This record gives sequence, C-alpha cells and structure tokens, in this order.
Amino acid sequence: METEPGAFLTALRLGDSFLPVGGYTASYGLEQYINEDRIEDGDDLRALLAAYLRRVVGPCETVALANAHAAARAKDLDRLLAVDERLHAVTMPREFRESSTKAGAKLCELLLAGELEGNDPDSGVADGDSGEFATAVADAVDRDETPGHYPVVFGVVAADRGLPRLEACLTHAYSFVTGLLGAAQRLGRFGHTEIQTVLADLESVIEAVCERHVDDDVAAMTSFAPLAEIMGMRHERAGRRLFMS
Amino acid sequence: MGYRDVAKVGIGGPVGSGKTALVRRLVPELVEDGYEVGVIANDIMTQEDADVFRESFADLVPADLVEGVETGACPHTGIREDPSMNLAAIDEFTERHPDLDVVIVESGGDNLAATFNPELADYFLFVISVAEGEDIPRKRGPGVTQADLLVINKTDLAPHVDADLDVIERDTTEVRGDDPFVFTNCKDGSGVGEVISHVDREVLFA
Repeated sequence: METEPGAFLTALRLGDSFLPVGGYTASYGLEQYINEDRIEDGDDLRALLAAYLRRVVGPCETVALANAHAAARAKDLDRLLAVDERLHAVTMPREFRESSTKAGAKLCELLLAGELEGNDPDSGVADGDSGEFATAVADAVDRDETPGHYPVVFGVVAADRGLPRLEACLTHAYSFVTGLLGAAQRLGRFGHTEIQTVLADLESVIEAVCERHVDDDVAAMTSFAPLAEIMGMRHERAGRRLFMS
Repeated sequence: MGYRDVAKVGIGGPVGSGKTALVRRLVPELVEDGYEVGVIANDIMTQEDADVFRESFADLVPADLVEGVETGACPHTGIREDPSMNLAAIDEFTERHPDLDVVIVESGGDNLAATFNPELADYFLFVISVAEGEDIPRKRGPGVTQADLLVINKTDLAPHVDADLDVIERDTTEVRGDDPFVFTNCKDGSGVGEVISHVDREVLFA
C-alpha cells in the first residue's frame, strides 16, 4: 500500500477531530450504554467498539463508503444516490441517521466552499472533472435530493482528493473509533492510557473489517447490532443527554 | 518516586462555585494534620490562581509545591483527555519533595460535564454553588453524578437567590443515589470538616 503524499495528507485531515463536521456531538448510542451502566471499564469499551466495527462500521458504513468511492470514480451519480439511499434505509435509529446526515451536510459545505481543495497543482489530487462530480453530489445534498450520509460524502471527498478506497475506509473506521473513545472519555471515567490501549487493540479489528468489506457489493450493505440500535432509540428519551445520538 | 506514588485529589466545578475557597480551607487543615501537601491550579490563561495560593499558603506550603498549569484555553482537556502536563507537574513535585503525601489539583473552572481522569485524581470533588440555581443537580452533569464527593457551596446565599436547599438535597439524592454530598459555606467554614473527613477516609487512609 503506497499512498501519494497529497492523498495521505487528505486521510490525516479527514480522520482528524479538527475537521469541523461536528463529530464530537455524536455517540451513536454509547451515551445510553453508559447511562444504563452497561459500560464499566476499558474491557467493556473494547468489546463494544469491536462489535460496532464488525456489525455496523464494516458491513454497513464501509460498504457504503467503498461503493460511494467507486461511484465517484465512475462519475455515476445515480449509483452514488442509490448507495446513500440504501445506507439511509439500513440505519435504524433516527438519531444515528441524523448524526450521520448532519456531519455529511457539513462535509458537503466544506466541499462547496472550496475548503477541502489544496492550492498545490503538483499535489497529485484530482483533476477538475472529478471535482465537478463531488460538487454535483454536494449540490444534491444541499437541495435535499439525497440524505447525504457521512460515509457516502466521505467516500466522494476521498475519491476526489485521490485517496484510494481501502485507505479511505481505514481512515473513516479509525475516526469513528476515536470519536467514540473520545465520547466515552467524556461520559465515563477512563484513563487516557487505558483509552490508548483500547485504540491500539482495535487497530487489528479496523484493518480486518475494512479489508473484509471494501469490495462488497452495495446490495450486501446491512447492519446487525440490535442492542446498539435499541440504545440509540432509548437515547431519544434519555433523562440525561449530552450527545445528539 | 513519581505521580503514581502520591495521593491526588481533584477539585472541579463551575467558575465561581468556590473551588479556590475550598482549597484555601482544606490545605491548612491537611498541613495541621501533618501531611505534606502540593497544590496545582489549572488556569485557562494565567497563573493568577497559583499566585493566590502561593500567597495564602506562604507559611504552610513551600513555594515550589504550588504550581500553575496553563491549559491552552482547554481546561477540560487538561484534567480529562490529556492530563500529561498536570502529571508532569506532580512528577516535579515528587522529585523535589519525595515525602509528599497529597496533591490537590484544582481545575480551571468547568461546566457541569467536567470530570477528572482517574489517572490524574484518585478521588475527585465537584463543587457547585447554590447561587448557580437550585436546578443544577437535576441536570445530571457528569461532574455532579460521577464525583466521588459533591460539595454544594455557598449555602448562606440560598435565601438571596430563591434557592431551596431541600429541593437541592432531594434532587442530589435522586441523581447520586448513595454517593455522598456535603453542604458547605466555605466563607465561614461550615461543612468543611465533613469534606476533610471524606478525603481523609477515602484517600489518605485508604
């Protein structure tokens, strides 16, 4: 795996909590797990996040991202919109959909404002044509013609910036995990070194699920995490809500 | 000798709730009980709190056991996600004073969501003031619900701000279950003895 410097920097940028898409407001049900005392220590957290990776991030979001990336490379807008529609359909909890589409919309805004473009003509990133495709997607999201889920927009931006498909999936899965670990640290009492240990332990899971699902067909996109979904739904009526999901 | 070898007590809470006043009450009592104490003030941008402590504790605590840690405008981060600079300050304390017993780490002023990293504080107190509104406990902020001890300060102001202490007590019991809380007035010292008893029992004799 050899990544062009410009694409590598795009991966760092997209995977960084510094990217202003509001990722820090989402816990994807984790807050409810903690509200109900289902997560007590680092082992619980590791097991839960591994399950999220194997059952949601891999078979659902990675498939969406990879297919969105392929659609962007093929400049096939209909295919791209079908990916977005399917992801919307298989994401059960309302708040999960909202966290994802809100972040997707923010990423689109950055795209439309030209904030994701570099100025270096030798950076190896996309030509004007693919930029037009990404803009068309962002416009469609802006006009509410498609939900604009975050993994889908992420795939489009990654393709536009020359980041290969697997690397894009790895970047997204990694940022999902660090986002939830950050949320866990704010909600519970986890030591900073314990959090780093959990993250290190999950790297192999991230790698495995991305490699397993990066070539899946869009029709295979599914998620199976009933408890996480129930937590996401209960969170809507939770007595304490610090996160949007 | 390093930060792992010394007891660490975190004191968090919103700006103006009385954290500094509580530290100024606690430290002389702990010193009188024979403990060697270090104090860290986390400030957002200045060393002001640390300077106040150095002056207040001039006869009690060596100047090199009072430190200010600037947190780059991220006071929560300094006590929760990345406490590295606080731990480094404690390491310096223990290098200079190997017999150090306890370090008080005061946060830089938080919202109700602030908690202490368990590697930074073995025990943490969260200080709220009745003047912030009687509804603070029932908002269930992590600071309020997860603190080892909740300190509800400025009880003397309750009648002046229409805060009902019975309501605060009822809500606090509801959100904290069996976890302890103490009403204090750090201005005249009421309730401070009870806070020290908790710290003694749960940290210093634990």
